[in-house]
Amino acid sequence: MKTIRKHLEALRIVRRNVYHPLVHKIHRKHKISRKTLFYIKEYGPHTNVSKTIIKESIKILLFASIISSFGGLALEYVKEIFLSFTPLIILLPVLNDMIGDYGTIVSSRFSTMLHEGKIRKKLLQNLELRRLILQISIISIATTILSVIISLFISGLPDYSYIAKISFKIFLIAIIDTLLLLVILFLIAISFGLYFYRKGEDPNNFLIPLSTSVADFGNMIILSILVILFF
Amino acid sequence: MSIFDQKFKDIFSSELISILSSLIAGTILVTYADKLFLLPGMLILLPGFLEMRGNISGSFASRLSAGLFLGIIKTNKVNTKIIKGNLLASFLLAIVVSLALGLIAFLFNYLVLKIFIPKIILIPLIAGLIANAIEIPLTLFMTFYLFRKGHDPNNIMGPFITSTGDITSIVSLLIVLVII
Repeated sequence: MKTIRKHLEALRIVRRNVYHPLVHKIHRKHKISRKTLFYIKEYGPHTNVSKTIIKESIKILLFASIISSFGGLALEYVKEIFLSFTPLIILLPVLNDMIGDYGTIVSSRFSTMLHEGKIRKKLLQNLELRRLILQISIISIATTILSVIISLFISGLPDYSYIAKISFKIFLIAIIDTLLLLVILFLIAISFGLYFYRKGEDPNNFLIPLSTSVADFGNMIILSILVILFF
Repeated sequence: MSIFDQKFKDIFSSELISILSSLIAGTILVTYADKLFLLPGMLILLPGFLEMRGNISGSFASRLSAGLFLGIIKTNKVNTKIIKGNLLASFLLAIVVSLALGLIAFLFNYLVLKIFIPKIILIPLIAGLIANAIEIPLTLFMTFYLFRKGHDPNNIMGPFITSTGDITSIVSLLIVLVII
């Protein structure tokens, strides 16, 4: 008991941002999970919880804000056209959320596959990866079609009757945007996932903020280009 | 290779709930589009403002869940150092990020669009305070509630935060625009 206490006290004074071998040693010797040890090291009695969280989160949050604002700037350029099509405004939060959700799912599941050693050299021959790509593609197309139909229905309710041509263009914009973003998401998750994993780091800590930020930014850019092209 | 397995059903059902609430947010957005987008630069800050809620409250829920599973956080003890620290950090982060979003929108307006609107700095700041005053306690309550009911908050809180976050963000932006 004394040894555990001594070890845990030693762990508390280890610098937060350093992965100390002591974590591994305590984990092996006393069978305490790494997650518990991580929590003790991060938020133990001698640490300032709020300071720790702010210090670790602020950079990535500011980075995400800047990236999103650049995407927003692209939309600001096509504001007039964008705002004249009601379904596009309705679809904006939907597409944003959808891409964020898929970014999180793809990143976390690919990270898990890497940790479990399921990813070998021939990526596309991997059944689980192929299943993930197919599942996400089917779900994203289905949810995009559903969202467009609902947004067209909502837009048509007040005094706005959408002719078939405009509806079809909005439908195409949403589908092309989703498909292009899916390709970007998978490319980011696979290439950066492999890169961080080979560097000996946990891809979970980088892939989600990276893929969601780039996908959000990409969403605004692709949406702006498609609006210019179609209208 | 079975594609339509349990994971497929889980993702599809949570995504359906997520898009339905995003459609509600989109409908509010379109209803008040004339007020919301009257000010130049609102589209610059909107994506970041919507994303912020998920980023801050999502991490908050994830930290709470980890603490709950490890037994470091107890659902019947809210007045602890770790919870107070988390709440304070989430609020402070929201203030800093909202201010940053306002400053970025102001700078983009001034440098790129050549429009001088200092008001745009205040809008996300005040709206961020209002939205987080609702969203952060709601996240704490929901995470504890789900854990007490025997669910894993990690599986439910993500879509829940993005869904409720969109609605609270747009409503708070509207409130601020009316005030200002």
